Amino acid sequence: MLKASIVGLAALALPLAAAADVENYVIDPTHTVPYFETDHLGFATMRGRFDRASGKFSIDHAAKTGSLEIVVDTSTVSTGDTERGSRPRTRDEHLRSADFFNTAEFPQMTFKSSAVKFAGDNPDTVQGSLTLLGVTKPLTLKIIRWKCGPDIRTQGKRYQCGGNATGSFKRSDFGMKYGLPTAIGDEVSLWMSFYGFRQ
Amino acid sequence: MQEFLANPAVQGGVAPLAIALVLSLGLRPLKLEGLSLVAAFIGSVYLVSGLDFMPLTSTRKLVVLAIAAPVVGLLVDFAFKPTRIGAAFIAIAAAAGALWAFWPVLSHKPGNMPWLLGGSAVLALAFLAGFALLRLAEDSVRAGAAALALGLGAGICSVLSASVLYGTYGIAVAAGAGGYLLPQMILGRKSQGGASFALTFAITGGLIAAGAMTLAQLPWYCVLVLALVPIGAILPAPRNAPVWLQAVLVSIYSFIIAGAACVLAWPSSQQP
Repeated sequence: MLKASIVGLAALALPLAAAADVENYVIDPTHTVPYFETDHLGFATMRGRFDRASGKFSIDHAAKTGSLEIVVDTSTVSTGDTERGSRPRTRDEHLRSADFFNTAEFPQMTFKSSAVKFAGDNPDTVQGSLTLLGVTKPLTLKIIRWKCGPDIRTQGKRYQCGGNATGSFKRSDFGMKYGLPTAIGDEVSLWMSFYGFRQ
Repeated sequence: MQEFLANPAVQGGVAPLAIALVLSLGLRPLKLEGLSLVAAFIGSVYLVSGLDFMPLTSTRKLVVLAIAAPVVGLLVDFAFKPTRIGAAFIAIAAAAGALWAFWPVLSHKPGNMPWLLGGSAVLALAFLAGFALLRLAEDSVRAGAAALALGLGAGICSVLSASVLYGTYGIAVAAGAGGYLLPQMILGRKSQGGASFALTFAITGGLIAAGAMTLAQLPWYCVLVLALVPIGAILPAPRNAPVWLQAVLVSIYSFIIAGAACVLAWPSSQQP
């Protein structure tokens, strides 16, 4: 009877033990910056970024699993063109309009993971789905840099993970068709820096 | 060919003009030439962004309403006699259409902006639809001139408001109106006209302006000024003058009002 109870308690405690291995992180919005680049007129590659992103991720080093959720404020899109000069509108204002990110109607772009694959002890690729302009399509992010450790800015009191990730998608898949096929490229490359603070 | 069709001048100008020209001549014996405008607009939408309707965004709702407008117009032309009550009902429906398309976005604007912008859209669409039905539906030249000026005005205002997409749509309406007017000017005979054309230009043009206000940066008062464009088309023109001269004169009157909206849109664009 006693033995059965111990086994039962152990079985109940197993999920708790497993949960204890999962580390949860909250995205640092000031150091998590998604950048994008695409072809412009067939001559040059133009780059831009989103100034505000939030989200969370979790990682289980023992089970080698994890999850990621990032929410990007599309109204913060910036290509550095903020002065109108003699033009009626800036490029950033154009990017916020219905021609591109349609930020009034779709203020957020989100990425949610479905699977995280590890290479050794570190996450290597994050498979998931990108939702942009109300359309959800698969997207895989490749983690090209990853490190976890104490944050020296807090004398080690705060633990963080950070790194860089890349990915790419066709904007036409999301209904963003302005300037296709010749003026502005369809293929959009992503590069992002990210940090998360352990909770 | 793909590059040719991707050219904005083709998408918003050449293609809708050609479609409207062919259809306004081809449908003339059937007295359905008023449908040339919606065909021109849909042709432009297809070239610019494709005819996808999911997810049903505000811009796609605009396209749905642009398609619905001539259907209602045909019912008015062939099934019902236009009356003031009928026009009022259609004006209310047009205003409700504007809210259906843009309120989900407008409702998230700060402060009293939803009411100001939403009210502007409602007023503009109701006036445009009602006025076009009561005062322009029976005169194809005046309706064509109003459509030309409203489309061009809404298009230029949209470009000034940072949306080339809406600008192309507006210019496509103007090109479609040009394709509807030209045969009348060349042949010297007015078309059947009717509510199918009048409602299409009024609702589509009004929604383009309201869309540029909602999704880009067109000031609300420019939408209201654009709604007054059809008034220019009912100003006096010599009845015995050739059709082409009547078309030119009422187009000029309408362009003056549309130009005023563009002037109003320009200074505000200088303020970041």
